[in-house]
Amino acid sequence: MRLTPAVRALVLASALLSHTAASLAAQSDTWALTNARIQTVTRGVIEKGTILIRKGLIEAVGPTVTVPADARVIDLAGKTVTPGIFDLTSSLGLPAAPTPGGGGGAPAGGGGQQAQAATAPRPGLSPERQIAAEIRLTSAEVKPLRDAGITAVLVSPTRGLFRGMSALVPLRDDADAGSVIKSQVAEHIGYQGAQGGYPGTLLGVIAYQRQALFDAQRQGVLQDRYKSNPRGMERPENDPGLDALVPVVRGQVPAFIEAGNENEIRRAVRLAKEFNLKMTIVGATEGWQAVDALAGRPTIVSVNFPAPAAVTGWSYRLSQRRGPGDSATSARAAQRIIEGNAAALNTAGVKFALASGGSRDFLPNVRKAVAAGLPASVALEALTIRAAEITGVGEMLGSIEAGKIANLVVSSTDLLSDSARVSAVFVDGIRYEVAPPPPARTGGGGGAAGSAAPAAQVAGAWTMTLTSPQGPLEVAMTLVQNGTSFTGTMTSSVGSQEISDGQINGRNLTWSATLQMGGQSITLNYRGEVDGNRMSGSAELGSFGSATFTAERKP
Amino acid sequence: MMRTALFALPLAAGVLAAQTPTPAPADTSRRPLPVLKVDIPPAATLVAITNATILTASHGTIENGTILIRNGKIAAVGKDLAVPAGAQVIDGKGKFVMPGIIDAHSHSAAESINEGSLSNTAMVRIEDVLREDAIGLYRSLAGGVTTLNVLHGSANTVGGQNAVVKLRWGLPVDSLLFAGAPPGIKFALGENVRQTNVPQTPGRTPRYPRTRMGQEELLREVFTRAQEYQAEWKAYEAAKTQRRKDAKMAEPIPPKRDLQLDAMVEILEGKRLVHAHSYRSDEILMLLKVAKDFNFRIASLQHVLEGYKIADEIAAAGTGASTFADNWAYKLEAFDAIPFNAALMAERGVKVSINSDSDERARRLYQEAAKAMKYGGASEEEAIRMITLNAAWQLGVDKLTGSIDVGKDADIAIFNGHPFAPASRVEMTLIDGRVFFDRNKAPTLEALIEAMKRRPRANTTSGGPQ
Repeated sequence: MRLTPAVRALVLASALLSHTAASLAAQSDTWALTNARIQTVTRGVIEKGTILIRKGLIEAVGPTVTVPADARVIDLAGKTVTPGIFDLTSSLGLPAAPTPGGGGGAPAGGGGQQAQAATAPRPGLSPERQIAAEIRLTSAEVKPLRDAGITAVLVSPTRGLFRGMSALVPLRDDADAGSVIKSQVAEHIGYQGAQGGYPGTLLGVIAYQRQALFDAQRQGVLQDRYKSNPRGMERPENDPGLDALVPVVRGQVPAFIEAGNENEIRRAVRLAKEFNLKMTIVGATEGWQAVDALAGRPTIVSVNFPAPAAVTGWSYRLSQRRGPGDSATSARAAQRIIEGNAAALNTAGVKFALASGGSRDFLPNVRKAVAAGLPASVALEALTIRAAEITGVGEMLGSIEAGKIANLVVSSTDLLSDSARVSAVFVDGIRYEVAPPPPARTGGGGGAAGSAAPAAQVAGAWTMTLTSPQGPLEVAMTLVQNGTSFTGTMTSSVGSQEISDGQINGRNLTWSATLQMGGQSITLNYRGEVDGNRMSGSAELGSFGSATFTAERKP
Repeated sequence: MMRTALFALPLAAGVLAAQTPTPAPADTSRRPLPVLKVDIPPAATLVAITNATILTASHGTIENGTILIRNGKIAAVGKDLAVPAGAQVIDGKGKFVMPGIIDAHSHSAAESINEGSLSNTAMVRIEDVLREDAIGLYRSLAGGVTTLNVLHGSANTVGGQNAVVKLRWGLPVDSLLFAGAPPGIKFALGENVRQTNVPQTPGRTPRYPRTRMGQEELLREVFTRAQEYQAEWKAYEAAKTQRRKDAKMAEPIPPKRDLQLDAMVEILEGKRLVHAHSYRSDEILMLLKVAKDFNFRIASLQHVLEGYKIADEIAAAGTGASTFADNWAYKLEAFDAIPFNAALMAERGVKVSINSDSDERARRLYQEAAKAMKYGGASEEEAIRMITLNAAWQLGVDKLTGSIDVGKDADIAIFNGHPFAPASRVEMTLIDGRVFFDRNKAPTLEALIEAMKRRPRANTTSGGPQ
């Protein structure tokens, strides 16, 4: 996969603008990390040893390694070296999904929309999309993640029913399409409908997926036959979307299906069985309810820890574990169950990798999962070697072994201990120093709690464009903020609704509103992210599918 | 301490729904009551319900009767039956026992109801989107309901494939499906399909069809296409047979499998039952004509509010009618509805059922059935059949459930009085001989009140006709 020359020039230009990036590239030669405590993951711990890095690879590792004359020696006495960790749930560097009405040449939802839909791929409905070709990483995006010890991310779009082929990307400052570790890691599949028509709801999404997979099976048969003898045979249709699904139905490319709650997991497993897919569940936040369905299947478990009420079906299931009288403690009890998901899956024998699920508190959340009973050794494997194996790069990454890619994390102590501080990270043998964090502003926090960002200011009058399967809708929204919660109203051509359950977590907002539409009552659950005077996000419309929105605050 | 049912609970929502019927949202239980932990004891191999008044729905009432259940099936029913040793005995003294109630029109267990983006969505399947944790299921169970026909909504002419489920509350979602039920599909006619009640987006082409004549045209078009598709497959099968004899022949290429047309062909072949949302007599006659022309049977007309005007035609078509007991005038096309509809159709030989189309009404369908006696003078057994055997017949499961007869699934509701008496309530509900609801183990009123306090206001809506 190559970038278009224009895009490539842009990426290069941004890399060249940064002098540090240019000079770091020159340092990727030969390193000897000596006197380190080496957590190899696959071959135990070397209490005092040396890692030799040459040309981006681990050349040697062990208690006694001869340091060649050309190596730069870094004495890591007292430090621990761990394989770089993975985040398999990333959308880093992807452009935001185009929103109708949002400018930029996107279809404007006018009379020509149906004609548009026939030609232009609709967001979330493009199995042929190659993420590797779209990677545009900037140092500003990469650095916060890498400083936490993440050295590779699996990038895929976060919404849609056929999202495209993901790419495993190293977190280098100069990462572009050319440095992608693996393209076409998996076809990513989800349960959100496409905008502006069929399939608009969960019903349609699953039916669409089933039909597409049948079509792909047939396409494969026709292609094979045509290849072996084209004479006298009508040629198979050229359909990039279908062609992309052919290796998926043949089990050559894995299907990564995003499924959070129990019933989503069961639906995904049913689809995988029906088409004999090589399937991995991504998310599994309610996996502990579906261990029977997950047994024997590689799984990517997200540690984003959704609030109990935010996940369909959560509340009832969690309520089964609390008495009616203890509402004061029930929320905490519910949270403990959510945080204990990975531990429960491990106890049940499910093999999984851990992923952030989009949370900015990846490692702090992993520590919570460990506190909830997940053995630290299992957590470390789940962040490294199991993540490498699930993405098909177990021979290249995921442990500290000779011959593997030199993605390493240097920390003050065990990476998963609360007091661990990352001091350096190697990606493809390139050394990135990590500056110590600025001293905490207040003495009370202690650091382990994963310092929450201050709540964004959201009060004011907003103009929102909500794009649902029924078409775009203009909404005037007035918000009143009270600390980390907010209230307000939403007014549109279909009436006025009170906002309920408005919550702010850093830049992230969630709220609900009940819409009366055509005599029907629909509760919409919104999720948004604020950036100054702009907001974007999505809304779940219950049985009516899902929608996306953008909003702008009036001055 | 008073132990009570969930009956009193959604009263406010119920009144609201009866007055302003709205399509049932799928997620009324997104945040359900946090008190409904229910342990489902395993099924006993041998169960005996003794000394009860048994309303069999098929062969009258048995006083002081006994039902013997073996491995989930009714093994014997009658007076003076010996109870075998080791049987789990349910004392039916003073109790009334009837077949488990069957609701022929529900949306309760579906996470998604209307894929209204196209006029024909025969390829979508309610089975794909079932959920087991919807609170409506538990409430229905507490109202003696054992089987639901979970239907796609009425947004489009040809809706999705329905799922017939048993209310096995407390078990994983895969356990819901009624294994022996034939497949079915939802059709819809009238105003919902015309989208007269949906605000149109300016600049967007409205979805076809916009009229009832368009609905007829659409049906004829899709069935004609289905016939062509059927012919393509037959030709392919014939070519395959021929190739087996003639190795020199090129291997035939199968037609593209189309899940939408697969379902339509199954209708034509009588393998998939059509349940058609309809109100007015003219549109019903149109549908019956289309079915006759394409040589298939409509299994049930849903709502069928003007059915009393054309009961003879419905009966002659071998079509069932599933209606409301007394719900009318909630929109223009429902203005000619009358409460005598069920009894009048039954009198002319139509197999009539009374449905809920609502999480709320579903928990008191036995009271709805009683209205057929008051309005039109249906017999007691006929009224019982309207929520049991007739509904089972409409769903194609009348050989398996719907009455208290030897060999059928032990789907049973036990009341503390006659089901049609206003103060009666369900004491116990059994599915396949297993006790899935037992009032003695149900949450207390105090617990329910506590739960109500914490119940989010936005989720108290309840359904009406879909």
